[in-house]
Amino acid sequence: MNSKNKKIVLHQMWTTKTAVFMIFMLFLSAGMFAQDKKQISGTVYDNTGTVLPGASVIEVGTKNATTTDFDGKFTLTVAVGGSIEVSFIGSATQKVQITSASKNIDVRMQNDGYQLAEVQVVAVGYGTQKKSDLTGAISTVKADDLVKGTISSTEQVLQGKVAGLNVIRPSGDPAAGSTLRLRGGTSLTASNNPLIVVDGIAGVDINIVQPSDIKTVDVLKDASATAIYGSRGANGVIIITTKSGTKGVSVTYSGLSSIGYVNDNLDLLSANQWRNYVRQTGNKDAIDYGANTDWQKAIEQTAISQSHTLTINSGKADSGFRTSLSYLNNEGVIKNSGLERLSGNINAYQYLGDNKDVKFDMGLFANIDKWHPIDYRIFEYAYNLNPTIPVYTPSGEFSSVALNQYFNPVELLTNRTVDNERHRLLGYFKTEVKFLNDFLAVANISLEHNAVKGGTYKPSYAVLEGATEGGYAQRTYAEYTNAQGELYVNYNKVIDKHTISALGGYSYLENIYEGFGAQRSGFVTDAFSYNNLGAGYKYRLGDVYSYKGKSNLVSFYARANYSYDGKYLLTATVRRDGSSRFGENNKWGTFPSASVAWKISNEGFMDSTKGWLDNLKLRVGYGVTGNQDGIGEYKSLSILGVGNDSYYDPVTGTWSLAYSPQQNPNPDLKWESTKQLNIGFDFTLFNRISGSFEWYSKNTEDLLYTYEVPQPPYLVGTMLANVGEMSNKGVELTLNADIIKGEKFNWNANLTLGHNVQKIEKLSNPTYKTDVIYSGSLHGLAGMSGQYSQIIAEGYPVGTFWGFKNAGLDSTGKIQYYNAAGTIVPESALVDADKTDLGNIQPDLTLGIGMNFSYGNFDLGFSGYGMFGQKALNATNMMLNDPNRLPAYNVPDDFLGSGITSAPKYSDYWIEDASFFRLQTLTVGYTLPLNLKDSKLRLYLMGENLFVVTSYKGVDPEIGLNAQNGVNGVIDQTGLASPGIDRYNNYPRPTTISVGLNFTLNK
Amino acid sequence: MKIKITAAILMSMLFTISCTDLSEDLYDKVEDGNFGNTSKEVDALVGGAYSSLRGFADGISNNYPTCEYVFFLNETVSDEATIPTRGSNWYDGGQYQDAQTHHWKADNRMILSAWRYNYTGIAKINSIIYQIDKSSLSDTSKAPIYAELKALRAYYYYNLLDLFGNVPIVTDFEDTSLPSNSTRKQVYDFVEKELTDAIPHLNANVVYSKMTKNVAYSLLARLYLNSEAFIGTARWQDCLDMCQKISGYSLAPDFFANFATENQKSPEIIFAIPYDSKAGTVGNYMNSMSCHYLHKLTVSATADYPWSANGMCAQPGVYSAFADTDKRKKCMVAGDQINLATGQVIIMDNGEKLTYTEHVNSVTDAKENEGVRLGKYEMKEGETWERDHDLVVIRYAEILMMQAECYVRLGSPDLAKPFLQQVTSRAGAELPATIDLHFIDQELLREFTFEGRRRTDNIRFGTFFLPWWEKGDTEKYRAIFPIPSTVLSTNANLKQNPGYPVN
Repeated sequence: MNSKNKKIVLHQMWTTKTAVFMIFMLFLSAGMFAQDKKQISGTVYDNTGTVLPGASVIEVGTKNATTTDFDGKFTLTVAVGGSIEVSFIGSATQKVQITSASKNIDVRMQNDGYQLAEVQVVAVGYGTQKKSDLTGAISTVKADDLVKGTISSTEQVLQGKVAGLNVIRPSGDPAAGSTLRLRGGTSLTASNNPLIVVDGIAGVDINIVQPSDIKTVDVLKDASATAIYGSRGANGVIIITTKSGTKGVSVTYSGLSSIGYVNDNLDLLSANQWRNYVRQTGNKDAIDYGANTDWQKAIEQTAISQSHTLTINSGKADSGFRTSLSYLNNEGVIKNSGLERLSGNINAYQYLGDNKDVKFDMGLFANIDKWHPIDYRIFEYAYNLNPTIPVYTPSGEFSSVALNQYFNPVELLTNRTVDNERHRLLGYFKTEVKFLNDFLAVANISLEHNAVKGGTYKPSYAVLEGATEGGYAQRTYAEYTNAQGELYVNYNKVIDKHTISALGGYSYLENIYEGFGAQRSGFVTDAFSYNNLGAGYKYRLGDVYSYKGKSNLVSFYARANYSYDGKYLLTATVRRDGSSRFGENNKWGTFPSASVAWKISNEGFMDSTKGWLDNLKLRVGYGVTGNQDGIGEYKSLSILGVGNDSYYDPVTGTWSLAYSPQQNPNPDLKWESTKQLNIGFDFTLFNRISGSFEWYSKNTEDLLYTYEVPQPPYLVGTMLANVGEMSNKGVELTLNADIIKGEKFNWNANLTLGHNVQKIEKLSNPTYKTDVIYSGSLHGLAGMSGQYSQIIAEGYPVGTFWGFKNAGLDSTGKIQYYNAAGTIVPESALVDADKTDLGNIQPDLTLGIGMNFSYGNFDLGFSGYGMFGQKALNATNMMLNDPNRLPAYNVPDDFLGSGITSAPKYSDYWIEDASFFRLQTLTVGYTLPLNLKDSKLRLYLMGENLFVVTSYKGVDPEIGLNAQNGVNGVIDQTGLASPGIDRYNNYPRPTTISVGLNFTLNK
Repeated sequence: MKIKITAAILMSMLFTISCTDLSEDLYDKVEDGNFGNTSKEVDALVGGAYSSLRGFADGISNNYPTCEYVFFLNETVSDEATIPTRGSNWYDGGQYQDAQTHHWKADNRMILSAWRYNYTGIAKINSIIYQIDKSSLSDTSKAPIYAELKALRAYYYYNLLDLFGNVPIVTDFEDTSLPSNSTRKQVYDFVEKELTDAIPHLNANVVYSKMTKNVAYSLLARLYLNSEAFIGTARWQDCLDMCQKISGYSLAPDFFANFATENQKSPEIIFAIPYDSKAGTVGNYMNSMSCHYLHKLTVSATADYPWSANGMCAQPGVYSAFADTDKRKKCMVAGDQINLATGQVIIMDNGEKLTYTEHVNSVTDAKENEGVRLGKYEMKEGETWERDHDLVVIRYAEILMMQAECYVRLGSPDLAKPFLQQVTSRAGAELPATIDLHFIDQELLREFTFEGRRRTDNIRFGTFFLPWWEKGDTEKYRAIFPIPSTVLSTNANLKQNPGYPVN
């Protein structure tokens, strides 16, 4: 019934390898341009159009240089196809491509322009370094290269932009966040999200920053780079530097309007197909409810979204000010879902002193999100309901003919109020003081506050929950506050060919979280919604709660850099972290690292390669980093608390609350520690192609997991402990190319490739013995209670599917299987020993690609990403292809022809290759040549998620790493995510078409 | 220069707030050792021992044990109940089919659940004893508290003795070394001694839901009744003696008063696990684990009754074991199910009528409506998942039946009659002229249907090892369950029960 959509089936011939090869060739072709010399002249202006004397002009990659005269003019003989670089203090360096047509060149210095890799400054944590001096693996993404579009979670801007960094959005729900995974992650229990650092403030929520406020993102990947963040550095560090006031005055508006729609629904029987089936089978009991309902379409809508951002910038020589305000209303393609955000950002800085000796810098970020969480059970209901059931009764009420196991999903979306609101705030004040010529001291205090309040009301006429409760209302409030103080001193000294720098610092972090909530049911009227809990007459002992907790982290850190002759570079760091979360016996951890780099291209013996190899650097680094996210507060202690442990006092006939021990204490609890070796090359070819290649091997020890412990003797069956070992090994390639850089036509491209192999090395130690952890719970699916689809076991990666191998259908339509001996057997003959490795959810290759073209005032760009080689369990399909369903419940179109007669059973029959490539954005823009001085107006049209290339049969091959709260409210409580399982929880990703406008007014 | 000085002062202020203190401040919890010094605090600790009886749901194995997994285990391996696979529902890896056919393996989640339910209760009580040890109470005030806690712990050990036999005995909270098995005899002796030692300190009055002298006598009576099955030594007279010490109870005139929403008023209940919807106690919804999804329409015209899962039902033969005049027959729901809103028989989604039949096609493939359902506890419109009726563990009818059985076994069936008479006359059933063990066995089935204790009776009467519906002969070693496989794999000191494969 569903018209065939734009999903293109991946043919076997179109393999990953050929695609990668072709893309690679495209990049190489960029270098094939011949070189000639010619004399050029030009004039350099400042941002306001005034001539700029004393600016330096250098031919890139040579010592061929000059400076502009009093009238801002210069003359230089340069190679055709090469480029010149114009720099001036206080302005961003400008690069100009020299073509055979170049003659008189006017260069206008910009406040915030393109910067050459050679002088690019990279945030490394507690300071910056020139990119050329780096010894660790750090990827940088500039504002222009970030993903654009209807973005409701800031993580999305990095999708496909950094080799080795996967941005996983579990669904198309605007209110759903994203998950970041760098180099495969390191932890079973703990968060695998990289540490987020915003303007030097570590550990903040990335969504405090809106995409339009980001200047650069530096991703610290290897341990030698992240060890400066110690016990929080194991999953990488993402340093976001936001825009601040630049010289001049400008006002910018950017706006975007879009419509989003669902491109791809499951092909289920239509009402008429269902009727045909009933007629053909002669089933007399089947109930035809008379309607023609596409339940998937019934819960969907066309989403209309918009965003507006206004920015004011003002800067002088010694001060700057920038403020922005933005509004986003991102509707979801499922009714009643969406996200509305209002955000603001102010940054100001002021230098004082004759030599700019002191700098005060302050920033404030704030935003408010509003959204209405939806009940994900709607998807299961929509797939299952008989298509002849009407959405509404003739009298206009929601029909509720099926009260059996599946309910009217439109009713579930409509007849309840869920209002959530999140407030985020981040403020900081930074003071920098230069002293004794070579020292710079920085003090930084900051506060991050994050609060979520919620209100839920299920009215007395809501079929699920509301009716039985007689109206149910709930309010919740939760907040946390991170207060940080940091003080560090930098030292820099150049003595002849020796460059020395050093850093020492101290930081203190205090995290306080607290919250409360209340619920009541039994409301005489539905008029109050969730605004008058006291009016509910039914209540229970556990209906109110509050909590509070605190942790702190104290750190000392140091870094030393040494370089000799610009050829040999050495970095060493050490951090000592003490955390209140750690057990009594392990309060302090030390995290050292060292790395070296050799700029091979600066060696005399490389002179012969100067024509094509502009830069070649080898880096080797090793370090130890930690992850303490999985611990949580108070996990090491033996504590008593009030759970839901009420007890009855027969004398008074009343109930009281018991105090019980809550957990197995573990005084040895500590961080997970990751040792990582990284070897990398940076290179620049033909002055056009730059890139880097990384090889890494990391080994995580003391893996935190809530291991099953024997009862007796333990109090509870699980215990958080440091036991196992996991390894991740991989390679990454990043390429950037200015394929064509002309006066009118420009073409640049970027490509990222990542390959990671993960393995659990150990799960036991002398104290705790674990053979296998069953994960990927199927609990909550009919007939699958307590069943698992995956294992975590030594020798396998996380997310390994483990089960029976199918041998296709037998003549009666029953799925048959291979036993351990490889013989085909029926289901009844299977024993546990026949279970085997059925593949895993780890991709073999992740790819990101982007290209931008501009011709005159036109621009065109696209970006896409893909993952290849990973498997997914299509549990939705497994449950729907059930011969017991018709005529009561719906089935996929395919089912009727499939001949399947066996009831759902987990096996690789339902495991699919989930490889995909997604075209993320495609943009066409036109910049209007305005008569207004120095102003710019750009209009553009953008398509997002226009197509996905995949062979996956479900709604979407990109399946979240974390299990949604399972169907029927059952939550996978094993403490482990259930990655790669498509189980009725795929909120479809919309295809979006937008029109946008950017307008900049300069004074 | 002034600027620099000012800045330096600002920066040094940071150091004044800095510190390296890493102690954890607790706000909403207390660290152990700081609790249990006042009588109120002691009550709150001891209360935890009682609340542990309700068990918990943790997704690993324990889905509300008293109405799900532990209850399921005892029922599905017995001759009174079954959980057949209906379509794809209730397959769940074959764990219920294995229980029905007596082919359970050591990785069966119901078995793990039974193990964890009891050992979690034991560990909790051990931890409470440890708290009481540390408390500043006087030794005299501690004595009755220890007695109450240890007798409760003996209840858990009695369950383990019955279910697993050779289990480790752990009494010290601080000792986290991995224990090894005790023999079934050692566990038997431990239970007997703990209860006997506790009795002098226990409350002699009838106190609802608390561990009193009467409850301890009842548990000892159960122990002696099953002594032959547990350790091979019959102790029928000891059982009789113990029963005769029990006082203060009488049969409730209405059998179903024991299973009503307000069943705490029944004069018959010796020990119960209290539940109360306002106290937020979840896990006593066994009717909902049994009835059809649409059963709520028979309880409430507006379907104001929780969902049911269409699982457990009676084995064929159980319903017809009751005479139609037997009032207790209503503990099962059978026949056409009427929608209160329409007065018509409920139509299932597949278009067929919802009629519960005694016939069940097979344990591997049953239809949605097959099997008569559990309806012993009251079903009331407006109930929530938190039910109000208490879960009955021991009631006076059992004391009467134990005495009757002992007299029959001791060769004096006539002496059994006065006890049986009370039970059967309340049910409106006739007492046969000759009382034999077969009659006692069948009367136990009718009196205690779905009360989670049939397996023990089946084993004591030996019927457990004979074929019944969907089951052939059972090997003797299956009188106790295997030690769960994950417990064995995490504790190398434990040995598997005899007869079961080591892995």
